[in-house]
Amino acid sequence: MSETIFVSQTTQTSETILVIDDDTDILALLEMSLASDGFQVITASDGISGLQLAKTDQPDLILLDVMMPQMDGLQVIEKLKADTETNTIPVLWLTAKTQTEDKLRGLEIGGDDYITKPFDLREVTARINAVLGRTRPVKYINPLINAMGESFSEAGVAELGSHLQAAAEIQLKLLPEKPPVFNEFDFATMFRSSTSVSGDFYDFIPLSDTHLGVVLGDVKGHGIPAALLMVMIQTASRLLSNQSDSPATVLKRINTLLFHNTDLEQFATMVYGILEINTGRFTYANGGHCPPIHFITDSGDHQQVEESGNRVELLETGGMLIGAFDIATFSSDTCLLSPGDVLLLYTDGVTETEGQTPNNYYGEERLINCFSKNLTLSAESLCDVLQTDLMEFSGTTQLKDDRAVVVIKRTDTQATPT
Amino acid sequence: MFDITTDAQNTVIVHVQGKIIGNTVAQFRTEIEQQLQNGNNKLIVDLKNVPLLDSTALGVIIVTLQVLQRAGGKLVLLNPQKAVSSILDITRLSSILEVYETEEAARNAFS
Repeated sequence: MSETIFVSQTTQTSETILVIDDDTDILALLEMSLASDGFQVITASDGISGLQLAKTDQPDLILLDVMMPQMDGLQVIEKLKADTETNTIPVLWLTAKTQTEDKLRGLEIGGDDYITKPFDLREVTARINAVLGRTRPVKYINPLINAMGESFSEAGVAELGSHLQAAAEIQLKLLPEKPPVFNEFDFATMFRSSTSVSGDFYDFIPLSDTHLGVVLGDVKGHGIPAALLMVMIQTASRLLSNQSDSPATVLKRINTLLFHNTDLEQFATMVYGILEINTGRFTYANGGHCPPIHFITDSGDHQQVEESGNRVELLETGGMLIGAFDIATFSSDTCLLSPGDVLLLYTDGVTETEGQTPNNYYGEERLINCFSKNLTLSAESLCDVLQTDLMEFSGTTQLKDDRAVVVIKRTDTQATPT
Repeated sequence: MFDITTDAQNTVIVHVQGKIIGNTVAQFRTEIEQQLQNGNNKLIVDLKNVPLLDSTALGVIIVTLQVLQRAGGKLVLLNPQKAVSSILDITRLSSILEVYETEEAARNAFS
């Protein structure tokens, strides 16, 4: 099996310290102490294996003993500095008190600081943090340098920043500026992004005077990769949808397009539906997305009765998430929006909003309650109420996930024949 | 975060501990990738102690599933908890993933 199975690079979550010292007692002591300070610790008891580990494990910092048999610390650092794979790793010397000359020589040829044996463990941690504090920003910017190559410069980074800004603006422009206007329906939307560009999206596609395509979805991940895929899906759904094809057919087409043109690991969940303005029929297919909620205000023959007495119907019919499986099949279903009914489409950024205690999420139930109590309000006011309730629940306006919401309310106004 | 066990039939069980979200997905990806590169194509991912996973983690599972299918192997999930189960249901991954509640049943899936 090839090593290119997965696309993204792996990232280290905590910083790694390599300790090179021939005194195994010191190795054990430092390993225990630094591990308890939250560092990953790797050790080598001689210069040669230390050099090898520095190359293979790419530690964030090396603690290097000066006096070692065979290859001493000074020889080790010379080799570290001569190798492009290791020459940026900061080195902290471990020296005996009497080796003052070594200290100076060591610093001259590239050590960042030194610690005198016998040492105080707290001092070791403090020195390490001081050095890492200087090198951390460099480490964080390394992926940017690698990605930008020769265009990495003050002007280049500024340009990248402005491109990011422009991307965010383009994406916002792709979303419908205003919800559509019909006498029979009241529309409202909410869109918030946790980063400058988002993987969430919604769209209204006019299919005819009486048929409106409604799309809402969520692309895996965040940031630019998610946004690019989102643009692709949005364009595809505009091009591939028409009044005569069922939502299931359209999802199947988008699935095929995505499957053949993106990595396996790239996928989206989405709902596509066609709203018949004259009748209130909403024919939809759900591609692995959290089910839209139909709030029923009228009496009728429906599936579920919610606790508070309001009826809700979850729009679950459809198929798998989009873009990951060629074999995916989809089916469509229809729900009828009667006057006063509300249809809520949303992304999981809403229900996965974190509360103020750990492992406590907003959830579908609270979402249903929030809407059920306010069904007489306009679509826009319902969005406002939701926004307030989410802020109250999380205690913050900071977003961890992108969020998109579409609210469709069938008003009591009767269709005016023309 | 991982505990790996291998039985006599070369079925590898990756016991995962903790949420697979954000930064920890990279560790999960690396661990699974390692198993695939070692040629282990009978894989059980034990989700008993995983309270939550995110869409990126789902992507890793999706790729693994298909890579193993093509290699004539299989991926099986063991004991997903409520939140994870619900994600598998909503995305309909539960319709193509083999999910078992006991280790014995998961192992039997390979015989």
